[in-house]
Amino acid sequence: MKRKDFLNTPVVHIQIKPDMTVNQLIQQFKNSGSFGAGRLATACDVFENMVRDEKCTVFLALAGAMVPAGLRATIADLIRKRLIDALVSTGANMVHDLVEALGGHHYQGHWLIDDYQLYKYHIYRIYDVFVPEEDFVKADEALVKMFDEIATKKEGKTLSTNEIMWEVGRRLKDPKSIVRSAYEAKVPIFLPAMRDSEFAYIHRVHSVRSKEGKALTISAFLEVPEMLRIMEQSERLGVVILGGGVPRNSVQHAALMTGKGLDYVVIITTDRPEPGGLSGSTIEETISWGKTKRKADKTMVISDSLIAFPLMVAAVFERLGKDFHRKGNP
Amino acid sequence: MSKKSGRMEKICGNCRYHNAYEYPDRVFCFAKFGERENPVVSIFYCCDEWENQLQDCFCLEDAMKKKGKKTK
Repeated sequence: MKRKDFLNTPVVHIQIKPDMTVNQLIQQFKNSGSFGAGRLATACDVFENMVRDEKCTVFLALAGAMVPAGLRATIADLIRKRLIDALVSTGANMVHDLVEALGGHHYQGHWLIDDYQLYKYHIYRIYDVFVPEEDFVKADEALVKMFDEIATKKEGKTLSTNEIMWEVGRRLKDPKSIVRSAYEAKVPIFLPAMRDSEFAYIHRVHSVRSKEGKALTISAFLEVPEMLRIMEQSERLGVVILGGGVPRNSVQHAALMTGKGLDYVVIITTDRPEPGGLSGSTIEETISWGKTKRKADKTMVISDSLIAFPLMVAAVFERLGKDFHRKGNP
Repeated sequence: MSKKSGRMEKICGNCRYHNAYEYPDRVFCFAKFGERENPVVSIFYCCDEWENQLQDCFCLEDAMKKKGKKTK
């Protein structure tokens, strides 16, 4: 490259107007093209491209306490609009969705609090979000009974994580629930680390209540061929990753196993690559494995997902307009 | 003294296994739930699985206060 090639696009300063929309603000970020603002603007473009691509199957990989903090309705809406074709999540996020679907709540709290006092009041803390123990217990109670019922219905058949989520979704009434929305929209929910959540306890209690050999069996491995089948039937693959962890690599690894690699990638995380963990690894690193295509439309936004993701979704909703319809893939 | 001796009583409020259900006086007994019995009990109840290991919490104190208020 010659010297002049490095100096093509000037930074245009961000102009804030009193009546500007989210997408207009994002366009100003794009004009700046710098730091997190520039990356967020690129993320909006990549997300828009993947949902407008009729041959692309869109995955959302969800880690971190996104549902307790307030992303539940946004994700359910994306599922109902079929801007997401498959959800890969931590078990905990779905448990928190079910806590609310079954009547519980999350409360605004504070991170500067005496946690031992919370313990004595039976209140759990997720940074500055509080959950009363009874809301968890009532969800446990309802879910154990659902597991009992599903075990009887399935008569010893081993279920995948998606099959159990749809069985639970079938039994919910809350239209704002992610699990209910996914069941209605026939969007699969994969929980590769399901036992690393309250589901482990729910299953344990269900097993204690069940007669010998009659407890529900759920296999995390059954979702692998299910996910691969979706990818094999898809011409192109896109993923939006919030956080990272097991959900992120489950999608990336499936893309590798099918030999396809991802075509569109947006990662929103606060993790850094230097310690070598997966959540902070760069998208370029995933190219070395064949998990992402070399020429993929991609960006990584270093941000709190609770800030960047709703901004991205709002901007893309605005761009797509009210009449936009996506049939869903594959 | 009276508080300590109260805590030695064989009640859910003195059991490490209790979970809040209707704070502070209704608790969820997973031992009963495991046996498919009604798990929602008073904090002043105890099941056969009771163990004298305190769960350090405000349930019992607050339930006592609530009970005291009701009887006044």
